[in-house]
Amino acid sequence: MSSKRIVNILAFVFVATVLLVPIIRKNAASKPAFSEIYSMNTIIDIEVYGKNKEKTLSEIVQKINEINKLTDDFSKDSDIYKINENAGIKPVKVSSITLDMIKKSLNIARETGGAFDISIYSVSKIWGFKSGDYRIPTETEIQKALKLVSYKDIVLDSKNQTVFLRKRGESIDLGGIAKGYTLDAIKKILDRNNAKSALINMGGNVLTYETPPEGKFWNIGIRNPRGEGIIGVLKIEGTKFISTSGDYERFFTKNGIRYCHIMSPFTGKPARKIISDTVVSNKGYLGDALSTAFFVLGKEYALNNAKKFGVEVVGFDLNMKPFYTTDLNNIIELRK
Amino acid sequence: MKTGDKFLLLILAILVILTVGTGIISQRSSRDKIIVIKSDGKTVKQVPLKRGISKSFEIKSREGHLTVEIKDGKVRVANSTCKDKLCVKEGWIDKIGESIVCLPNRISISITGGGTDKIDTTTY
Repeated sequence: MSSKRIVNILAFVFVATVLLVPIIRKNAASKPAFSEIYSMNTIIDIEVYGKNKEKTLSEIVQKINEINKLTDDFSKDSDIYKINENAGIKPVKVSSITLDMIKKSLNIARETGGAFDISIYSVSKIWGFKSGDYRIPTETEIQKALKLVSYKDIVLDSKNQTVFLRKRGESIDLGGIAKGYTLDAIKKILDRNNAKSALINMGGNVLTYETPPEGKFWNIGIRNPRGEGIIGVLKIEGTKFISTSGDYERFFTKNGIRYCHIMSPFTGKPARKIISDTVVSNKGYLGDALSTAFFVLGKEYALNNAKKFGVEVVGFDLNMKPFYTTDLNNIIELRK
Repeated sequence: MKTGDKFLLLILAILVILTVGTGIISQRSSRDKIIVIKSDGKTVKQVPLKRGISKSFEIKSREGHLTVEIKDGKVRVANSTCKDKLCVKEGWIDKIGESIVCLPNRISISITGGGTDKIDTTTY
């Protein structure tokens, strides 16, 4: 190689580097509007990129607080509290958001044969999962509580915008769908504001919006259900909702047996078919509710029905063996 | 080769080495892990997570406080005033993207940084 050539190459590399560095720097400098808030009984991280990022962020926070106010079953002002207080007494007028969320819950209840049932509250209560005072109830208690679990007893009146629980003592809890539903509402806010990119994590329920600021994929870690750290990574392209249900989030152990917070509406006991499952969906409410339904119904049901619902699923059976729908093949990386 | 050419070659070579070198160094530093601790939604502490650094410290919030322990490139919550102690049960974390959240105390501890093992967020 002639020296002239070397000089040319070096000059080119130098100029290219000098020109590229500011561009790379500038890209890194396009920082998101970021907020970490505590609402809906969980921690929520919001990260928005784009021109109107600050405005978009504040609209999102507002929406979360609005939905939380309507659905928080502990708050006396919430629609849910009022519905539960008036069970067996009278229909309660609710907001359009609450009505819509319950309507969607009932649809999924029907489609999963009752595996997802927002009236499971009575059962959750006797196991102490509402108060935090965990206990194993007697068989009689379980049978009694199960009598108050039926999504068919939830009467919706869309015209008058009311909800009525048929029997006294029945109660509902939107914990299995509210976060996913809120992510749908957040997506609409991002659309409306022309957000460039965003990442929302509501207590493990994730919304990836458009293309990440760096790279082509969002790298979404799946928490290891039986150890520390992450057990796998999903490489998500574009806008998706990722929801996980597992027996490791809230549970207690007695005599070596693990009792988790997800109750089977069929047995009145904690579901014990798999350890966890993660659903990738195009709709937040659907992924959230289905991850619970799949957890209750188990591996075979999840694998055989994911397509019908238009979702993908990855999970771990009781031996920690992974299972997943074939379409996830190229986007999932499992560790170890 | 003329003397002028040689001179130019030397200058260019130095410049290239300097520019590329700085690039690599700045990239390496962004690959370092950083522990970000938030209390009541605000970042209250950032600590580099490196092997050989051992320390523990208290983090307070309006709701309570907890002890963060750093050891052998790992971090955990050693103690907490919260009722459920889920943050303590979480154990050690050491990877970018991992986090421990103490919901009752409204304190979060997460590991961030660049690098190849990058995780944007975690589902659970």
